[in-house]
Amino acid sequence: MEIGTQKEADFEVSEVETELPPRPTTATATKLETRGLKANFGANQILKGVDLRIPEKSITAIMGPSGCGKTTFIRCLNRLHELTPGATVQGEVLLDGSNIFSPRVDPVSIRRKIGMVFQKPNPFPTMSVYDNVAAGLKLSGVKDRKLLDETVERSLRLAFLWDEVKNELKKSGAALSGGQQQRLCIARALAVEPEVVLMDEPASALDPTATAKIEEAMARLKRNYTIVIVTHNMQQAARVADQTAFFYLGELVEFGPTAELFENPKEELTERYITGKFG
Amino acid sequence: MPRLMDMGLEKLNSLMMEMATLSEDAVSVAIEAYVTGKKSREVNVWAEKLRSLHRQVSELSIELIARYQPVASDLRYIKSCFEISYGFFRYGRYAHDIIEVLEMFGDLSKCDHTMVNETARKTQEMIRMSIDAFTRKDVGLAKKIPAMDDVVDDRYRKNLSEMMKGAADTKCALSTALVLRYLERIADHATYISESVVYIVTGLEPPA
Amino acid sequence: MTQGLGSGSIPSGRRYLDLLMTALVGVAVLLALIPLVLIVADVIIQGAPAINLSFLTNSPTPVNIPGGGIGPAIEGTSVMVGIATLISVPIGVGAGIFFSEWPESRLSTISSFTNDVLAEFPSIVIGIFVYVLIVLATHSFSAIAGAIALSVIMVPIVARTTEESLKIVPNTLREASMALGISRWKTVIRIVISTGKNGLATGILLAVARAAGETAPLLLTALGSTFFLTGLFQPTAALPLLIYTYATSPYQVWHEQAWGAALILVAFMLVLNLTVKLVIGRKFSEMRAEI
Repeated sequence: MEIGTQKEADFEVSEVETELPPRPTTATATKLETRGLKANFGANQILKGVDLRIPEKSITAIMGPSGCGKTTFIRCLNRLHELTPGATVQGEVLLDGSNIFSPRVDPVSIRRKIGMVFQKPNPFPTMSVYDNVAAGLKLSGVKDRKLLDETVERSLRLAFLWDEVKNELKKSGAALSGGQQQRLCIARALAVEPEVVLMDEPASALDPTATAKIEEAMARLKRNYTIVIVTHNMQQAARVADQTAFFYLGELVEFGPTAELFENPKEELTERYITGKFG
Repeated sequence: MPRLMDMGLEKLNSLMMEMATLSEDAVSVAIEAYVTGKKSREVNVWAEKLRSLHRQVSELSIELIARYQPVASDLRYIKSCFEISYGFFRYGRYAHDIIEVLEMFGDLSKCDHTMVNETARKTQEMIRMSIDAFTRKDVGLAKKIPAMDDVVDDRYRKNLSEMMKGAADTKCALSTALVLRYLERIADHATYISESVVYIVTGLEPPA
Repeated sequence: MTQGLGSGSIPSGRRYLDLLMTALVGVAVLLALIPLVLIVADVIIQGAPAINLSFLTNSPTPVNIPGGGIGPAIEGTSVMVGIATLISVPIGVGAGIFFSEWPESRLSTISSFTNDVLAEFPSIVIGIFVYVLIVLATHSFSAIAGAIALSVIMVPIVARTTEESLKIVPNTLREASMALGISRWKTVIRIVISTGKNGLATGILLAVARAAGETAPLLLTALGSTFFLTGLFQPTAALPLLIYTYATSPYQVWHEQAWGAALILVAFMLVLNLTVKLVIGRKFSEMRAEI
């Protein structure tokens, strides 16, 4: 069932398309590309023009010191940044070659294709595990019970959570442990069948065992999804990412295959940061 | 601001320096002993010490990697120390082997040591350069060493082919051949060390 | 306090100060509780004798005729508060949602401020306002006028508690919802409100309790009556009005009945507040702890 063609909610008076224009036919390994991406909070410029090509079906890590703009960067990718009052974005972000900021594009449809998992797990507290995972579908008008059941199970399996909750689907989402909650949020994000999954320091609030489970899930997920993960933990980037980008003060300093970047970085700044010789 | 790992790196470096000095001395004393015929106990002791030091370096390297998860230049340095310390250990080992030749063959005073002396000079120069290049992380210096290795190799092979023509004195021929062989191996290790130094600085491996 | 540490580990001067402050705070709590306890006790003691079924269902009778009751007053209060709730809840909740979820709008900040001002208005002034607006225009005191006056009092309360309950909902939930591709409207209605619904219910119940006890505005709008309702456009009885009239009269019988009515009113308040605290309050605080 095509999520994107579901009827919009009664309240939306939108004349924009609910789907992106069709993708170019030439096969491309780049899933997301930013061109001259700038982002502000009021007068404060956070991103100063970022050009980055994110390959599909792999894990890209974005790392850098606090304040370097990495969180702002991924929040631009699913058009969440502009929801903050006073926040502005310039430049282009191309999903499969089409600019997501084009006026013909509905942000809501972008956010279905580009999902997000947040730093602190945030399951909907008034909903059960089942309802949490199904939330994206249900609130888009999907009523088919069988489809919902299948989607919930599939998503929970992808997030490596099914076995732990399959007999307790009615349990409140907030009653799970921290690590389970985060996997629940991953399942919830996957249920709407995005193409890209953004993760903002997904394991920073979790203990090492829970972190390991999340990383295992990510390693499996990348077969089918493009994953972009923001992390301040270099070892995590080294463990999971296929390619890593290093940001500093709102600019992209270096980007390349993880093994290369960590063994022999090209930029002096990158070298100083990853060896801990920064402040 | 010093990092946790810096203390470990300093310890690693001082171990390496100790091995460098010890191995260089071992080789010179061994050559001196061989040429003059005066046996030496010290070289054996030093060779043992070098073996123990190499083990310490390898343990420390693993510990640093496991504990601090080093990256980039730190990682390359630690990996290279492990390899280079093996080279220093081999310097000592071959010095010991040279002394062994002297002990096995007894009196070699009648032999012509010109070949050995010339080759030894070259080899010791290479040892010195390899140590300097490592200490100063000098890529330019390191890159000069492989060419010198060719010279040493050349001499070793020339000597062998002359031996094969039929030598005057079997004892001298054999001992010279053995010592040249060891010198050639020492030169090889100096070359490996130079490649490791280039890797530390540039991150590039030598072409296959 | 100092248990488990051994008495020797804290200097005795500080310990005595600690005990003194605890005692002072305890005294303050008692002083605060005493009026409540005394009032409730007094009302129960004085009002209980008057309570029986006929008291609750009969109409008032002239002073010298026994068997009078407060039936119309109970009916009047129920009807007016009921209508006021039906009017004020949609308006108040709607306003509260707007203040909380669209704070960037100028209209929102201005209205929120005026809402807070209205909440503090003297209720008699609201009574005068509705008197002029409705009573004079329809040439009659009425239940409708009373209900409208009560709703004017209730709307700011409902709006404010709604706004506060929704503002407590962590923004990360809104973002999670939007990140799933759910529109802003749906996010507000299905996620934010459902998360904050306990606070909303609390606010509504508290507004109802407040409205049931208001006297001043009803003086000028419902006026009072000794009869059961015959229509919404007639003067109507109400419990607070009855209490006021009877208590200030010279008749002993009426004084007893006033106590009885007071007991009914207080009982209603207590039940409402207890419901809020026990049922909704507990779920509310559990939920807050989990967020």
